[in-house]
Formats: sequence, C-alpha cells, structure tokens
Amino acid sequence: MIDSTMLAQLGSGMIRSVEIFFLTLLFSLPLGMLVALGRMSRFKILSAVIKVYIAIMRGTPLMLQLIVVYFAPYYVFGLNISSGFRFTAVIIAFSINYAAYFAEIFRAGIQSIPVGQTEAAKILGYSHAQTFMKIILPQVIKRVIPPVTNETITLVKDTSLSFVLSVTEMFTIAKQIGAKTASITPLMVAGLFYFIFNYVVAFGMDYFEKKMSYFR
Amino acid sequence: MENDILLEIKNLRKSFDSLEVIKDFSLQVREGEVVSIIGPSGSGKSTILRCATLLEKMDGGSLEYVGHKLAWDNDGRMEYADKKELKKCHEYFGLVFQNFNLFPHYTVMQNITDAPVRVCKIPKEKAVQKAEELLMKLGLEDKADYYPHQLSGGQQQRVSIARALALEPRVLFFDEPTSALDPELTGEVLKVIKQLAEAHMTMIIVTHEMQFAREVSNRIVFMEHGVIQAMGTPKELFEGEETNERLKEFVGKFAV
Repeated sequence: MIDSTMLAQLGSGMIRSVEIFFLTLLFSLPLGMLVALGRMSRFKILSAVIKVYIAIMRGTPLMLQLIVVYFAPYYVFGLNISSGFRFTAVIIAFSINYAAYFAEIFRAGIQSIPVGQTEAAKILGYSHAQTFMKIILPQVIKRVIPPVTNETITLVKDTSLSFVLSVTEMFTIAKQIGAKTASITPLMVAGLFYFIFNYVVAFGMDYFEKKMSYFR
Repeated sequence: MENDILLEIKNLRKSFDSLEVIKDFSLQVREGEVVSIIGPSGSGKSTILRCATLLEKMDGGSLEYVGHKLAWDNDGRMEYADKKELKKCHEYFGLVFQNFNLFPHYTVMQNITDAPVRVCKIPKEKAVQKAEELLMKLGLEDKADYYPHQLSGGQQQRVSIARALALEPRVLFFDEPTSALDPELTGEVLKVIKQLAEAHMTMIIVTHEMQFAREVSNRIVFMEHGVIQAMGTPKELFEGEETNERLKEFVGKFAV
C-alpha cells in the first residue's frame, strides 16, 4: 500500500510544490501591493488598465492562464519554448494571478485606514512615501493577515494546477503512481500532505497575527 | 509694542461642490494670542482650521505665516507656495485633532519622537529628552511605553498635544479637542490647554466649551453661515452690550 518509494516520490513532488508556493508568494505579495497602488492611482488611465488586468486574472481559470503564459513566447514572439521554461511559466502565471487577488485585499486594507492617519502625518511633515511606509503600511499589514491567510491556503492547493504544464509537483506524481498501481492511496497521501502543509501555513499566520496584536 | 503677526488669513472662501461653507473669513493672530472660534455645527469652523493647515485647498483668499505667503488668490485662481516652502510649513503650525489620530502602532514615546527624528532630523536622544519633558509637563511621564489603545481618551488627547508640541510650532490649532471625550475627561485636556495659554503659546481653538473659551481666550470669533458674525474679547462678547441677536441666542443655550 504505502511504501517508502512512493513516499520518496511524493516527497520530491512536495518539494516542487513548496518551491512554487514560496516563489509565488515572494513575487505576488510585492507585486500585489504595486497593483493595489496602481488601482488607486489618480491617473485614470493607469487605474483603468489595472482594473482590466484584475478582471482578467480573476475572471478566467488559472489553468488557462498557465497555458497562455507558457505558450505566449511562441505565439507572440515566435520564440522556441524550451522545456526548462515550464517551471518559470508556472511561477509567472501564479504570481500575476495571485497578485491580482492580493491587490484587492491590500486595497481594502489601505482604504480601511482612517484618513485622519494620513492627515496627522501630513501635518507633522511626513512625505507621502514616509506616510505610506511608516504609518499606513504597518496598520494595513495587521488588518490584511486574515484574508491573506485565506489566499495563501488556496495557493497551497492551487499548486497542483501546474500539472497542466507537466511540472512534476506532488499532485502530478500522486496521479502517476495512482494510475500505475491502480490505487487511490497515493492521492489520499498527497491530500494528507496538502493538509499538513496548510496546517503549518495557518499556524505560521496565526503566530504572525498574534505578534501584531500589540496594537489596535 | 505689539507682538509679531504669526498668522494672517484674508478673505478665505471655501466651497464643497455647490455648498459654500466659508463665504468670507479674515483673521489676524499675533504671537501669544489665544483665539477661540465658536458657532453652531456646520458654520465652517473646522473648515477654517483645515484650510489654514493645508488639509483643504482654499477657493479664494490668502494665507500667510510669520510673513511667509503660503497661498494667495491670483485673479480668482488659487496659487500655493512651492513644495520647499510648503514642506517648511510644519515648522509654523501644529494641529490637534478632535479624534486624536495618534499612530496606533507606535508607543507614546514613538508617537512624539518619530516626526522630530524622521522629518526634522533631530538626534534621537535629543528628541527623547524633549518628549520626556513634555510628558512630565502633561502628567504622562509614566505612559511613555504605552500604546494609544491602552490609554483613556483624555490621555490620548494629551499625548497628541505633546506630539504637536514636540515640533515646536509657532501656532497650534485645536479642532474641537474635547468633543470626542467623556465629560469627565474633558477637564484634564482643557487644563493642559490652559497651561499652554498661560505659557503664551499662540493657539487657535475651535470649541464648543463656552465657559472654557471665555476663560482662556484673548479673543473669541463667533461664526455662522460661513461668515464672522461677531468678534471681540470674551468680555465684549459675553458681557458687553451685545448687538448680535444670534450670538445672544447661541450663547444663551450654553448659559448655566
């Protein structure tokens, strides 16, 4: 049933999943903040473009976006696609997709900070950048932890979508073993892995939230 | 000899959409003066402070601090001083808000020292020392490491006064400083403002506390419908042969 080779194979797939997870967060969180700021920009054209971008990212399947990103160099620029590009394409697609969701969370967070905070900072002589980085952002981060945790947990499970580009993350491997051995066990074990992974993520976010509870 | 003019507002006008909130407002404040602005809600009192502290753009008139023009009317179009000059303006004035607007993620000490250190590049030790003096003066010396949410409203407002004073403004504005406080907490804030008045801090106070305005001010401005209805010393306004019916009526409502 569950043997060590299977666990080793799933384990190596798990490492891939973890890689996708962390790289996506690394790129999508800062990008999401930039997108949020762009969305709130006074420049109508910029905010309109960003609105369209968010609508597309949220309105179409992530699986399709993975395929589009992967084939774009060929269809748009006529470049040959090497198989090494698969993983890069996965990271790009995940990052731009999650950035859109994070952007809306950040926008809600920024807009929930009372305008008096900005006004107080202005009176005290803070620049726009100082006001944002030192006064607004720390408060935003505290407020967005719960919705960001939600997205992050979804991301753990979404990493399985990268199978469409044949990136051998955990779910792909579980399916392969399952097909070979005509057993559902590998998929169940993979499910357990995802669950544990998410448990750790939720635990970490909970810890972070507690750390931020020194102010209200 | 008369003291220097610190603030001069001339013919200030301000509308929000089609609603003209301030029709014509002029005020000259000299060093050491305490001016209270009273009047019913919606009379434009707070808007005056917000225009004078550049939180709102003016629609007309001019604004001058210590002889530095910050805003002026150029044939119906408002012009503001350049960025450098506007950046310097925080040296001229401070503002204490109705709802404090302390930074919740900073301790009392950080709230008071962050702007001097970050904005004015004052050495941290000096800023901390100054903050300690201020906290002592305001009776908050044991609260330096508290976060705002751990303090009462009255204490929070005193911290926000300390935060404003730390930048050593020439003029300090108060926008209804006790309106968000329980009646039992207003006293401690008013006491602090009174202390500042005794130390000849130049202040402009929008308030609903009639008795307080009467005690602390050199001059009281009564506003209604966006214009000054009456202006004078507390004695002239409260005890003199008052000609303004509306002021009588307004003040009468507060008479105990």
